[in-house]
Amino acid sequence: MILIAAVAMFDSRASALPDPTGRFPGGLGPGFYPFWSAAMIAAAALVVVYRWYRSTDTGEGVFATREAWTAPLKIALPMIAAVAVIQWIGFYFVTGLYMGFFARFIGRYRWVWVVVIAVVFPALIYLAFEKGFRVFLPKSILFEQGFPL
Amino acid sequence: MDILNGFTSTLGSLAGGFGTALQPFNLLLLSIGCFLGLIIGVLPGLGGTSGVAILLPITVFIANSGPGGATSAVILLAGIYWGALFGGVITSILFNIPGEPWSVVLLFDGFPLAKRLGKPALALSSSFFASFIGAFIATVLFTFFARALADVALAFGPAELFAVFIMSFATLIGLGSESPAKSVMMIGLGLLLAAVGFDTITGAPRLTFDRIEILSGIGFVPVTIGLFGMGEILASAEEQGIGFVERLSAKVGVKDILETLRELRKRIWTVVVTAVIGFWFGVLPGHGATAGSFLGYGLARQYSKNKENFGKGEITGIMAPQAAADASAVGSLVPMVALGVPGSPTSAVIMAGLFIWGLQPGPLLFIDHPDFVWGLTASIYLGHLLTFTMCILAVPLLARIMHAPYAIITPFIVIISIIGSYSLNNSMFDVFITIAFGFVGYWLRKMKYPLAPLVVAIVLGDSTERELRKALIASGGSPLIFVGSPLAATLMILAVILLLVPVVRGLRERRARNASVEHAA
Repeated sequence: MILIAAVAMFDSRASALPDPTGRFPGGLGPGFYPFWSAAMIAAAALVVVYRWYRSTDTGEGVFATREAWTAPLKIALPMIAAVAVIQWIGFYFVTGLYMGFFARFIGRYRWVWVVVIAVVFPALIYLAFEKGFRVFLPKSILFEQGFPL
Repeated sequence: MDILNGFTSTLGSLAGGFGTALQPFNLLLLSIGCFLGLIIGVLPGLGGTSGVAILLPITVFIANSGPGGATSAVILLAGIYWGALFGGVITSILFNIPGEPWSVVLLFDGFPLAKRLGKPALALSSSFFASFIGAFIATVLFTFFARALADVALAFGPAELFAVFIMSFATLIGLGSESPAKSVMMIGLGLLLAAVGFDTITGAPRLTFDRIEILSGIGFVPVTIGLFGMGEILASAEEQGIGFVERLSAKVGVKDILETLRELRKRIWTVVVTAVIGFWFGVLPGHGATAGSFLGYGLARQYSKNKENFGKGEITGIMAPQAAADASAVGSLVPMVALGVPGSPTSAVIMAGLFIWGLQPGPLLFIDHPDFVWGLTASIYLGHLLTFTMCILAVPLLARIMHAPYAIITPFIVIISIIGSYSLNNSMFDVFITIAFGFVGYWLRKMKYPLAPLVVAIVLGDSTERELRKALIASGGSPLIFVGSPLAATLMILAVILLLVPVVRGLRERRARNASVEHAA
């Protein structure tokens, strides 16, 4: 937090103070607001650090068990992978694969249900958004060649 | 005597309006509008504004060739607005993903009540009842005071608005955290994020580090979806493990409705007061339901006896902002109808409709087209009643969504989060922001930092800066403008008092602690 505040204060230092010379309308430049917001972060962060330093509570560490960090990671990695490939294979294929992956490897569903889930959900989303409300979601790289999704 | 005459004349006009709104064709359009609005509110990325905009072309045909003319057209559009107001809360409460910007505040207590305390039906019905009561109070105010209030609202300048925003932040310091310093840090971070992108006054890029994608700023919807929706999924995986099944009350129905009514009775004055405040916020041009809902939440918490329960599923934390948000949405129609100045983005689109149908919004609308004004007013009462009935009937069905298997509901939430953040600007950058803030939200939650002040600051940060600078521009740079009028001075003093409350409380508690230690020694 202190680092974020320091970078923001450095970036907006040029017009951090009120300027009565008439250079900016109302005397405030573009840097005033971000500079003092960052200063607020820095000041509050120093108070938190001071309190932590004075505190006698040692705590139990950030992650209590191995499972505590592997479980979020198991959710996070497929999420990152799905978002990373959207621009190549398109939103609808990603939805099918992502939902199918969860159904199979987390829910332990039979393959037939995995296929049903992987097809039905993207199809419903397609009908609601693209056909119903004309909201267009990312398509695959084949879309330019005439592929519909 | 004049007041009594005015009152009876208004009642007579309203009765005429009900006659118009209750015509079968208008009633049908209102029902269609409310139903479509509900769906639009539930779907991520689609809001009342886009719903109204999508159906605007259809209303041209209705206005030109329908039996009710422009009145039927506005009834359809207003129905969508009311439906979306109710629908937006459903995803907030059930999935921790805001369906609409004004339902962001429901993430603080709606989702905890639905999931952590296992009462989704109570959470949903609390929000629907509060919406209905808030809207009803606002519609009564709209009926009797629309024109007078619109004139008063114009006297509410940037200095007064700036003071109101400061009050919103002040009410949230210390929220959900042992340390006010953590809240202040989160407010600072939110204000900083809101400042990213082009400066609206000078046009200079700020904190963009030469990245083109960031020039237009960081939207609060992708950030909020990440902080709450994605962050919750990661936190649940750690706290409850992967594949856990919700153990929620399966019994939903009359019992939950009765419990909601009991809870509502205990909080009725909070709901009424926040509805009036929300209505007033809606009347102020350019603000609308989102700011109103945050202010309603902050004030309800500040004056609640159960402060420590806020953020953990407190029903007041659902009812107060929801009443304020709905009242605010009704209020946003006041400047549109009475002055021709839209009070919110959705009312701006409805106002565009008025021009297309050949009407001129403003004071003369009451004189030249009374059928239109009173038909619209009556439809606000009916629209809310219809939407409320639809929602209450759907509560048992909606609550059952929480029983869906983990392997279906978790990826589904991720997918609708992606849709919600992408479809705002058709931007993958917004999706990346959502994912990044998912991790930030998870980490902040783990480190016991309150998320609510961060979200409030991101949402209101832009408006706060804009009003600050507009006030200073108007005064030629003199800060005395913030105490220059009795209204501004009063609001500013209130804001300062609210800011000092947590500091004084902290000092008192510290002194009491020290005294007890000395006493023990």
